[in-house]
Amino acid sequence: MTQSPRNHSSLSTSFIARVGLLSALALIFSYVEAIIPYSPAVPGIKLGIANVVTVIALYKFGSKDAVCVSVIRIVIAGLLFNGLFGMLYSLAGATLSLAGMIGLKYTDKFSVVGVSMAAGVLHNLGQLLVASALIEDLRIFIYFPVLLFSGIAAGILVGVAAALILRSLIL
Amino acid sequence: MKQLIRKADVILFIVLIAVGLAASAVLSVHSGSSTDAKVVIKSGGRVYARYPLSEDAELEIPAPGSAGSSASSETDECTHYLNYNVVSIKDGRVSVSKASCKNQVCVRHGSISMPGETIVCLPNRLVVSIEGDEGGGYDSITS
Repeated sequence: MTQSPRNHSSLSTSFIARVGLLSALALIFSYVEAIIPYSPAVPGIKLGIANVVTVIALYKFGSKDAVCVSVIRIVIAGLLFNGLFGMLYSLAGATLSLAGMIGLKYTDKFSVVGVSMAAGVLHNLGQLLVASALIEDLRIFIYFPVLLFSGIAAGILVGVAAALILRSLIL
Repeated sequence: MKQLIRKADVILFIVLIAVGLAASAVLSVHSGSSTDAKVVIKSGGRVYARYPLSEDAELEIPAPGSAGSSASSETDECTHYLNYNVVSIKDGRVSVSKASCKNQVCVRHGSISMPGETIVCLPNRLVVSIEGDEGGGYDSITS
């Protein structure tokens, strides 16, 4: 994520500080989630509490912040505790879900909860696509319905949390 | 942004649920018809036969070296061979229902149904295993 000095005009000090803070916050959520012992029936089902930070960054500060926070969080969490494959899955999921979130927010028809719900589904879809590419077997898509429903549930929970925080956040 | 949930959210929610239900319906129909798991029976180290797991069958497997008549292997009473095992496939589960051996470990093993599972009868040098596609269990990549 090193930026060349040429486009320093787009990287204000407050932006760097803000993204750094939000990334650290998101990273703590990732850590909390990583140490909770649980074994889902299907690998990949996760609450994704760290995405509360991503959603807040998107709504409070814009898409650039959200993308930066998300990518920084995933790379560092991957190096620290999720492992390389976890990082790969998460990056694919994050790419899709960020694109979806930014797109849906742009239409201005959806609430935070709806955008987050779509993001949850898209995140799981991205993971599934990477998994099917890695295993080279499309039969892994038998997990699709389970991951879809869990994505909806996780997305709604994250969205409600983010909406409530956004409502009471004074910035 | 005041409302927690808006109309478009509900529509999206319904659409997603519908997609999920449709996908699971399609997949359950699809996977129900194509259970191409095979029961592999090895006798004396060589593959003796392969049978589809989905078809019920009762098979008499002679132990290697035991004399006996030829391929009439679907009889109820196992008197053709000196040493034998009867492998039965029923409702997608495989078990050894009879065995000529002393310890009867293979009979007491119970039934197997998942790819990768095996029943072994050492005295008769018989290995019954289920061979299937990766869909049955978890793989090593997911951590």
